[in-house]
Amino acid sequence: MRDAFQTALSGLLGREVEISEPVLLAGGASKEAWAVDADGRRLLVRRAAATVMHHHTLSLAQEFAVLEAAYEAGVTVPKPYGYLADVAGREAFVMERLEGETIGRRIVRKDELAGARERLPVQLAEELAKIHAIPAERLPFLPEARLERMVEELDEVGEPHPAIELGLWWLRENPPPRRPAVVNHGDFRIGNVVVGPAGLVGVLDWEFVHLDEPVRDLAFSLVRAWRFGVPEKRLGGIGDAEPFVERYNELTGRDVRPEELDYWELAGNVAWAIGTLTQAQRHLSGRDRSVELATLGRLSAEVEYEICNLLEQVTA
Amino acid sequence: MSERPTGQELTEAILEFLAGEILPTLTDRRLRFRMLVAMNALGIVHRELAALPAEDDSDLRELARRIRAGDVPPGTLPRVKSGVEARLLIASPQFLESYR
Repeated sequence: MRDAFQTALSGLLGREVEISEPVLLAGGASKEAWAVDADGRRLLVRRAAATVMHHHTLSLAQEFAVLEAAYEAGVTVPKPYGYLADVAGREAFVMERLEGETIGRRIVRKDELAGARERLPVQLAEELAKIHAIPAERLPFLPEARLERMVEELDEVGEPHPAIELGLWWLRENPPPRRPAVVNHGDFRIGNVVVGPAGLVGVLDWEFVHLDEPVRDLAFSLVRAWRFGVPEKRLGGIGDAEPFVERYNELTGRDVRPEELDYWELAGNVAWAIGTLTQAQRHLSGRDRSVELATLGRLSAEVEYEICNLLEQVTA
Repeated sequence: MSERPTGQELTEAILEFLAGEILPTLTDRRLRFRMLVAMNALGIVHRELAALPAEDDSDLRELARRIRAGDVPPGTLPRVKSGVEARLLIASPQFLESYR
């Protein structure tokens, strides 16, 4: 594997480079992440995994195009270096390896990151405003999200989940006024950002990018599952939603209303409840046998409970 | 069978994990032996669960179908919520505590 990286990275950087032993980092069943240094430069190589990709995520080549577009739009992201068609038989792309914390539980708790938590709400809003300004015509392959796609995914799972059905029913019956679709990150939340003592270091995980209403992205970071054991802080366990939304409104002029946020927070919970079930299907179908994926299927009950709770609030 | 993975499927996943990823790393002979004993015990649970009759989920399917069709009479939400609560008492009782 070291030779394959040596050849590929030398080709990419345009000269013979000295590389460190590539280390496979944990996480990511459909895509691998390798940490490797080339002439002391910290790199991260995203490479296709042996298994088939989830069919609603972007391909590696598309994900790289998205990262480049985000970088050019001034979003705080790892510097993209290049796409590689063949690293030991599989495609990959190379980007900068940022330094900082990505584990949600630590970001919401660590004493050293108390200052970061104060800055993050405003910083996250600023990033989202930039992401939503990426010209969609630059990324013509992006899929458009629809409520029906969630229904299709649920039907593919084939299990009865009345709480999810109830959430979907309420979302169908009570849509807020439609806003024009923008480039959505699709998984914008604590856990997918790198955080240092001064706050945000970079936005990661660009494989779920799609076209959707801007408020969908804004509210996804409020979903309870991403508060990492600090449920009273609605924004990802780090702070209140208000300064986040106020800064976003200030930058975009969109004037997002609290009831829209409630609607899309519920939609985010419905999406994640279905997500836990589809992840468990990867295990149950035999595509990706893993005790973690299997356990996620049972965590659906947590998300479904939150759906019921949010429904009580919006129907009260 | 309404709750997936079922208890049987979960024990199977744990057995695969222990056999594939943990057992090969154990070099201490005593620990290795005790791990094999524990896996054998889990195998018993696995087979015992397999012998249980499948749970009837027809009521749950009917409820889900009705809601999908837009048939949501008053009282549906509390009924659905208490069903989820019963599942949580098995899957994640500490999560319920976080709401109190």
